[in-house]
Amino acid sequence: MLDALTGLGVLEYVWLAPLIPLLCFVIAGFFGNRTPQGGGYIAIFGALAAFVVALLASYEYVMSDAYSAGEAFVRDLEWLVFGDYALNFGVYIDSLSCIMMLFASFISLLIFIYSVGYMDGEGKKKRRYYAEVSLFLTGMLGLVVSSNYLQMFIFWEIMGLCSYLLIGFWGFDHPEGDEATENAASAAKKAFLVTRLGDVCLLAGLFILLHMFGTLDYEGMFMQAKIDAVVAANPVKFPVAMALVFGGAIGKSAQFPLHDWLPDAMAGPTTVSALIHAATMVKGGVFLVARSFPLFVQSADVMLFVAIIGGVTAVFTATMALNNMNIKRVLAYSTLSQLGYMVLSLGAGGYLVAMGMETGNAELIGLGVLGYSAGVFHMVNHAFFKALLFLGSGSVIHSTGTEDMRLMGGLGKKMKITSITMLLGSLSIAGFPFFSGFWSKDLVLETALAPASHGLGAEHWFTLLFALGMITAFMTAFYMFRMWFLTFAGKPRERAVLSHGESPKSMTMPLVILSIFAVGSGLAIFANFLCHAAQSLEVGMRWIMDAGRVGINEHVYDGIAVVKHMFGNVWTYVAIALTLVGMAIAHAVYAKRKFEPEAFRIENKGRLYKLVANRYYAPEIYNQISWKLGAGVAKAVDLTDRKVVDGAVNGIANAIIGAGDAVSMSQTGYVRNYAGVVVLGVVVLAVVFVLAFALTGGI
Amino acid sequence: MMDMSFLKDVFGEFVPILPQIVMVLATLTVPALFYANRSGKACAWFSLGALALVGILVGLMMHDGTFYGDYAGLFSFDPFSGLMMLLFLAVAFLTVLVSPDSTEVTIHKGEYYAIIMGIVTGMFFVASASNLMVLFVGVEVVSISSYALVALKKNDPRAAEAAVKYFIVGGLSSALTLYGISLFYGMTHTLDIAGVAAAVDTMEFTGAFALATIALIAGYGFKIAAVPFHMWAPDVYEGAATPVSGFLATGSKKMGFVLFFKVFLMMFVVLRSGFATQEVQYLFAVIAAVTMTLGNIVAISQSNIKRMLAYSSIAQAGYILIALAVMSEYALVGGMFHMFTHVFMKFGAFIVVLSLIAAGLGERIQDYNGLAKRAPFVAFAMLLFLFSLAGIPPLAGFTSKFVLFSSAIYVNGAVVTQWVWLAIVAIVNSAISLYYYARVVKAMYVEEGPTDALAIRGGHKFAIALCVVAVILLGVFPTPLLEAIGDAAAHFFLAP
Repeated sequence: MLDALTGLGVLEYVWLAPLIPLLCFVIAGFFGNRTPQGGGYIAIFGALAAFVVALLASYEYVMSDAYSAGEAFVRDLEWLVFGDYALNFGVYIDSLSCIMMLFASFISLLIFIYSVGYMDGEGKKKRRYYAEVSLFLTGMLGLVVSSNYLQMFIFWEIMGLCSYLLIGFWGFDHPEGDEATENAASAAKKAFLVTRLGDVCLLAGLFILLHMFGTLDYEGMFMQAKIDAVVAANPVKFPVAMALVFGGAIGKSAQFPLHDWLPDAMAGPTTVSALIHAATMVKGGVFLVARSFPLFVQSADVMLFVAIIGGVTAVFTATMALNNMNIKRVLAYSTLSQLGYMVLSLGAGGYLVAMGMETGNAELIGLGVLGYSAGVFHMVNHAFFKALLFLGSGSVIHSTGTEDMRLMGGLGKKMKITSITMLLGSLSIAGFPFFSGFWSKDLVLETALAPASHGLGAEHWFTLLFALGMITAFMTAFYMFRMWFLTFAGKPRERAVLSHGESPKSMTMPLVILSIFAVGSGLAIFANFLCHAAQSLEVGMRWIMDAGRVGINEHVYDGIAVVKHMFGNVWTYVAIALTLVGMAIAHAVYAKRKFEPEAFRIENKGRLYKLVANRYYAPEIYNQISWKLGAGVAKAVDLTDRKVVDGAVNGIANAIIGAGDAVSMSQTGYVRNYAGVVVLGVVVLAVVFVLAFALTGGI
Repeated sequence: MMDMSFLKDVFGEFVPILPQIVMVLATLTVPALFYANRSGKACAWFSLGALALVGILVGLMMHDGTFYGDYAGLFSFDPFSGLMMLLFLAVAFLTVLVSPDSTEVTIHKGEYYAIIMGIVTGMFFVASASNLMVLFVGVEVVSISSYALVALKKNDPRAAEAAVKYFIVGGLSSALTLYGISLFYGMTHTLDIAGVAAAVDTMEFTGAFALATIALIAGYGFKIAAVPFHMWAPDVYEGAATPVSGFLATGSKKMGFVLFFKVFLMMFVVLRSGFATQEVQYLFAVIAAVTMTLGNIVAISQSNIKRMLAYSSIAQAGYILIALAVMSEYALVGGMFHMFTHVFMKFGAFIVVLSLIAAGLGERIQDYNGLAKRAPFVAFAMLLFLFSLAGIPPLAGFTSKFVLFSSAIYVNGAVVTQWVWLAIVAIVNSAISLYYYARVVKAMYVEEGPTDALAIRGGHKFAIALCVVAVILLGVFPTPLLEAIGDAAAHFFLAP
C-alpha cells in the first residue's frame, strides 16, 4: 500500500501544492457567489488537495534515497533568460520544505473548515474572504517550495498583499460601525507598511547576494567552495547582506522593533489571525532564517544579532500580554514572544555552529544544529497550539460577541469543548511538562545557554538571553492562565451571560483535532523529529555537518538521548517550576480571587502598568518618528515636488503635448504632402548617410 | 510525433515551399467556395481551417528539423522563415476569427477572405525569400492586396480616401524599392541576397551605393511606418474596417521588419567585413529614436482610439528598430520577441475596439467613459493590452521590451555604451506612452458614463480571451518562445 503511494511519483508534481490553491483563488474569486458558502468549499478543497499533495510528496521524498543521502529534490524550469543570465522557477524540497508544507496546508485546511461556521454571517463578502485566504495559502506553500530567493520573494510579497487585504477585510462596512472600520483599514495599512520596511531590507540583501554569488538558486549558492570564496572575497559585504536578509525576517515575523503591526492585525477576522499567526505569514520570516542557515552561520556576529533580537522580542512582548484585557491581543503578544523564542534558538544555534567551525569543535556544531532543529520544532508546535488558541478565542468571540475578557467569565460551563481545548492549548504554550510546547521550549532555552556554558565569546549576552528566556517562560504561563481563568472560570459577567452557548460543529471539530496535535506534536521528538529537521542542513551545509558529525550524533540524532539529556539538566526543572508558579499565581489571582486584582490597581496605575499597557509607547514612537522625521521630510519633499518637480514635469508635459498637437497639425490629410514628406525624408536620410561616411572617414 | 517523411516522397524537391503551395491552393479555393454557396461564414471557417492546417504543417516541419532547405535558390525554409510564417499565420488567424462578427466588414465576403489569404501567401514569400526579386514580388502581392482590402469597405468615404492615399504613397515606396534593387543589381550583377551581400563587402563607397541603401530603407520603411514614411498609417488605420486595421498594424508591419532583417542584417552584419555597418547602424538608430518619439508624442493628442493605436503602433515600430541599430544576435531575439508580443497586445486592443463598435459604441476615447461597468471583461482586457503596450510587468510587453532595450546595452556579451542613449530614449518614450494609455484606462474605470450593459459577441470575446492569455503567458513564461526565437536568430546569424 505504502509502496504504491511512493510509486505515484507525486514528488514530481509537488508544485501542484501551491498551484491548486491558486486555481481555487481564481475560481472562488470569479464564481464564489454562485457556489454554496461563497466559495468556502472551493477553498477547503484547495487546502485539502494541497495537504494531500504535500503529504504524498513528503512521504515519497522521505522514503527516497535522496533523503537519506542528504540531497534535496530540485526541479528547475528556466524562466527568463537575459543574455547569459538565467532566472529559474522551480521547487527545492528538503525536510524543511516538507515540514512547512505539511503543517501550513493542514492547519489552513482546519481554519478554512472552521471559517464555514465563523464567517457564516458575512453574506456576499465571503467570496472575497475565501478567494483571499486561498491566495494566502498559495503564498505560503509557494514560499516554502521555491528553489531560489527571487521566487521565494515573489511568494513572500503575495503573502504580504494577502495579509493587507485580509487584515483590512472589514476596512469598509465593519459590522461594528465606522470606528471599527477605520481601525481595520489603518491596521491593514500598518501591517503592509511596517512589513514593507523589512521587505525593502530583504530585497536589498538579495541584490547584494546576487551580486556576490551570481545566482539566487539555493542549489547553486549552498556550496562550500562558493560560500568560502564569496565570504573571503567580501568580508564586509557578506555580513551586511545577511543582516539585511534578516531585516526581512524581522518585518515578516514581527520581531523587535518592527513587531508592532502584529497586535493591530487583530482587526481582521479571528480566522485570519489564526492563519497569520499559525500557518502562514509570520512563519515566513522564521523560515527565511532557517532556509538561509548555511549562509547565516558564516557570520557569528550576525547570528549573535539574530539571537539578541529574538531574546529581546520574547521577553519584551511577553510583558505586554500581562495586563491586556483583549483576548485576541493576549494571544497576539504571545505569538510575538514565541516567535522570539524561535529566532533566539536559530540565532544561538547559528552562533554555536559558527564558533564550532571557527574552533573546529564538533561538540559546538552539534549543539548548534540542535538549536536549529529546536527552532523548527518550536515553530511546528507553535503552529498547532496557536491555531488552536486563536480558533478557540474565535469561538468565544462568536458566542459572546466581545473580545474584552472583563465582560466574559464562567464560560467553561456553557462552552465545554472550547474551554477544554483552550485549556490544552494553554498548557501547551505555557510549557507544562509533556505537552508539546514543553519539549521545544526547553530545547530552545538549552541552546540559548550553551554558548555561555561553553565559555565562548559573548557569554554575557547569552547568559542574559537565557535569563530573559526563563523569565519569558514564567510570564507565558502566567498570562495564558490569566486569560483562561478570566474567560472560562469564575462567575459569568455581562456578555458571558448573553452568550449563546457552544459554537457549531464546523467550529468545534477543528478545535478538537487541533487540540490532539497541540498536546501530542511534541512527542514527535521521540520519532527523531530533530534529526529529520536537521536533514535540511545536510542538504544545505554538508561540509559543516561532516565537520560536526560527532557532536551531531550525540546531541541530535537520538531522540531518546536528547530527552534523557533534557531531564538530566537542572534548568529543565527550574523552567518547570517557573511555569507552575506562573500558573499558580494566575489561578490564585484570577480564579480563586485570593488577591483581588483590583488591589493591585493602585500600583497598576503606576508608571510601569501604563508603560506596558501602552505597548512601551511603541506606536507613539512610531508616530513621533514618522511625524517629526517623516512629516518634516514629507513637507520639504512636497514643496520641492510642487514647485520644482511639478513645474518641470508640467512644463515638459505641456511641451510634449504641444509638440504632439503641432506635429499632428502637420498631418494635413493631403496625399501630396505625404508624398512630399517621403521624398524629403529620402533626401535627409541620404544627407545623413553621406555625412556619416564623411565624418567617419569612410569616403 | 507524426512521421512526416511521406511528404518528402510526395513533394520531392518542392518540400521547402510546401507551406506556400498549400497557402496558394487555399487562397484560390476561397472565392470558389464563395461562388458555390454564397456564405461568408463558410469562407471564414474554411480560411480558419486552412490557416490552422498550415500552422500545424509549418510547426511539424520545424519540429521535425529535416525539412530545412532551399528551393531553386529563390526560397529557403529555415527556422527563421518558419517562425515568421507562424507569426503571420497567428495574425491572419485572429483577423479571420473576429471578422464574421464584425459589423464593419463589407458585403463582399468571398473577396475579403480571399484577399486575406492572398496577403498571407505574399508574406510567406517574403519570409522565405532568398532573392531580392522574390522579396519584391512578395511585398507587391501583400501591398496590392492590402490596398484592395482597405478599399473593400466601399460605403464609407473615409475608407475610400484612406485606400487611395495608401495606394499612392505605397506606389511611391514600391518605386523606391525597385529603384534600390535595380541599383544593387547594377552594382553587383546578382539578385541573390547572399550574393549581393558578398559583393557589397568588397565594394568602395559610391553615390550609387548610398542611393540604393537609402532607397531600400525608404521603400521598406513605408511598410513599417517608420518616420518619415509613416503618414499614411493613421489615416489608413482609421479609415479601414477595424479587423483590417489590426491586420495591417500587426501583420503587414511585421513583414516590413522581416524585409529589413533579411536585407540589412544579412548585408551589413552577417556577411560583413565591416563595410558601411556603422553608418547604417547610426541611420537606423536615428530613425528608431525619431520614430518612437514622434509616434508617442502625437499619440497623446489623438481623440480617436484607432488613430491613437495607429500612432502607438508607429512608436512600437521604433522600439523594434533598435534591433536594426544594434545588429546583434541578442537584439534580433529582442526584436523578434517584441514582434510576437506586439501581435497579441496590439491586435488585442484592436479586437476590443472592433467588438465595441459591433456592440454600438463609437471610436472616440470619450465614448469609453464608464466602460468598466458596461462591459467589465472587455474593459479589463483592454486595460491589460494597454498596460502591456506601455510595458508594465508582468505582461508580455514588459518582458519583450526588457529584452529589446537591454540588447542596446548588453551587446555580444558585454556592456557597451554606444547604444545606451538609444535605450534611454526608448525608456523615456515608454514613460510618455503610459500617459495616453492610462488616459483610456481612466476613461474606462474612473469617468462616469452610460450604465447600460453592452452585448459583446461571443466570437470577439473568444478572440479577446485568446489574446489575454497570450499577453499574460508570454509575460510570465516566455522561455519556450524565446528558445524558438533564439534558434531562429542563431540560424540567421549562421546563414551562408
